[in-house]
Amino acid sequence: MSNSHLPLVINASRARFYIIGGGAVAARKVKTLIDTGAMIYVIAPNIDNAILDLAGDRLTCHERVAGEENYRAGDYVVLATDDKATNEHQARLARNSGAWVCRTDEPEDNDFSFPAVVDRSPLKVAISTGGATPALTRLVRDRIEAFIPTDYSRLGQWLESLRLRLRSEGTSKERGVFWRRLMQSQAPDQVLARQEASADKIVEGLLSGEDISAGEAFLVGAGPGDPDLLTFRALRLIQMSDVVFYDRLVSPSILSLLPDDCERHYVGKARSDHAVPQDEINQRLVDEALKGRRVLRLKGGDPFIFGRGGEEIQQLAEAGIPFQVVPGITAASGCSSYAGIPLTHRDHAQSVRFVTGHMKDGTCNLPWSELIHPQQTLVIYMGLVGLPEICSQLIAHGMPAETPIALIEKGTLPDQQVHTGTLATMPEYVAGRKIQAPTLTIVGSVVSLHSTLNWRSG
Amino acid sequence: MKNTQKQPGKVWLVGGGPGDPELLTIKAMRVISQADIVLYDSLISDEILDMLPQKCTRIHVGKRCGAHKMTQVDIQKLLLTSARKYARVVRLKGGDPFIFGRGGEELEYLQKHGIEVDIVPGITAAGGCAAAAKIPLTHRQYGNALMLDSGHSQFGEYQKSQSPTRVFYMGVKQAGMITASLLSEGLSDSTPVALIANGTLPDQEVHTGVLMDLPFLAERYSGAGPALIIVGEVAAFAARNQVQAHGEAVA
Repeated sequence: MSNSHLPLVINASRARFYIIGGGAVAARKVKTLIDTGAMIYVIAPNIDNAILDLAGDRLTCHERVAGEENYRAGDYVVLATDDKATNEHQARLARNSGAWVCRTDEPEDNDFSFPAVVDRSPLKVAISTGGATPALTRLVRDRIEAFIPTDYSRLGQWLESLRLRLRSEGTSKERGVFWRRLMQSQAPDQVLARQEASADKIVEGLLSGEDISAGEAFLVGAGPGDPDLLTFRALRLIQMSDVVFYDRLVSPSILSLLPDDCERHYVGKARSDHAVPQDEINQRLVDEALKGRRVLRLKGGDPFIFGRGGEEIQQLAEAGIPFQVVPGITAASGCSSYAGIPLTHRDHAQSVRFVTGHMKDGTCNLPWSELIHPQQTLVIYMGLVGLPEICSQLIAHGMPAETPIALIEKGTLPDQQVHTGTLATMPEYVAGRKIQAPTLTIVGSVVSLHSTLNWRSG
Repeated sequence: MKNTQKQPGKVWLVGGGPGDPELLTIKAMRVISQADIVLYDSLISDEILDMLPQKCTRIHVGKRCGAHKMTQVDIQKLLLTSARKYARVVRLKGGDPFIFGRGGEELEYLQKHGIEVDIVPGITAAGGCAAAAKIPLTHRQYGNALMLDSGHSQFGEYQKSQSPTRVFYMGVKQAGMITASLLSEGLSDSTPVALIANGTLPDQEVHTGVLMDLPFLAERYSGAGPALIIVGEVAAFAARNQVQAHGEAVA
């Protein structure tokens, strides 16, 4: 156990690296170094073609045994042969000359080592346990890799060119304040959303001393329930919101991702029991954004598929508030995947129709004659209450009574239940059970695939 | 990791979403970051491929309309042989595997051969493009329903529907046929339409007009990237919902 290792960042293009060894380990190190512009010397009696092929201005290969005369003080020497005695001998020679040594076979004997790197150039994240446990290094690298979107490279380049521009223009006054305010503004997020033009406007505003305090709204689909089905953009925006308005269908584990100091407002909606009327939600989103806050509207599923996101953005657009819409996995996708019921399938359905079974006046007024087509899949959102009527109307309009139907209860959640039957049997089946919201209904011959494709049952 | 045990590996059918790598789900990312081999479609962006582990074997299996690199049957066979060779096989598709993704066929085939399969849903193109173009797919004002069609109809005609919003996947080449079919259903020639190309990607294009213009819009968009057609009153929102701050003009 050691606490002695310390990550430092060197300018590799000013350093000389000796790689002693010509096999796979050596090739990996060459690969790590070659894009940095470092001077690289590979010395070994036999060198793999994978390395020889890369030889050029900054990489030279010498097929012989390295001697003490090769090493100079301050060089970086990587011992990458598969022979321990050779590595030990070369380490001694290198150290005699004042060079730094990296032992790939004996990390305890290292003067320096290579961290694992998450590369979002110009941003680089180094992860190291000083060789103590490469497995942990790998695990953390994978997690960070997943956590930092690749777009951070874009943001890094944008910030870098901005810094160079400001330096050349000599605008030095209150540099620290400028950067702090810029990083707290929506600019970084806009660059990540590929809206550099908007971000540039914020920069100009800050430079001209104008106060950029306008808020912003995010309409975010939280998916069908399983927090793993959140998108990375949703996660990023959730983590930077000042105030959230959320639905009943947003699971507690997703809410736990909000910042601790984020103000939370529950706005409904259990069926026909809206905690807050839609008009009021629309208005509150605008009001909070006008205070200069980052307002998150977090909805189950997708905000634009039965999510009433259209009404919310209309009001935001009219008020001139910048907003982003982040799609989510809609219930139809989530439930069909987790229930093993493809919505389209060459042998069963070439189109899919989404309808909502929940009407304001409690009745279902759907274009029944269009819904009975045999080559399509019918997906009914919020259809539990109207289910008996839906089944009888479909049969009355000519859909065969034996058409398969699936009712997915709490889709994608750990306690998901898939109930299957036919248009004829389902109403009675449902009447005898306590089925819990949320539910989704799928009608059509694709449902017949459930019994064989139900991959989650195994 | 090579699969040295007798037991075959597992296959994940993963929806890679509409293109923007930030629209991957956390689950999809976790699965692909542990893959031994990935069979991917043309619609998967380079940025997503960059996230694959270095040692992972990558196979590009098509498909672009008109130029399938491999047939569906070939892909299924390759999935099977991969599962016998590798422990963690990922089939990475654009959009969602169960909405025009032919994931059902792959799942059926693999299960028939005793291979364990896991499915990771993705943001389907309709959801991704609609959000990026700020077009709500359903809206109370216009009735609450949505119909998704594959642009290349196998039956030479599209289903009749008074669904207020209709979305056609991969329909650019068939824009003329789609227009004729919708007009014959009695849809007004001034129904708003939007054509979204490369949706959610940096080079996204949103072209809006009315149904009568659709073949013209499709012609004007001659790019090679994927495109989606949205027909219905909601398509007019594409122009309406652009806030000045977001700058980009919509054609």
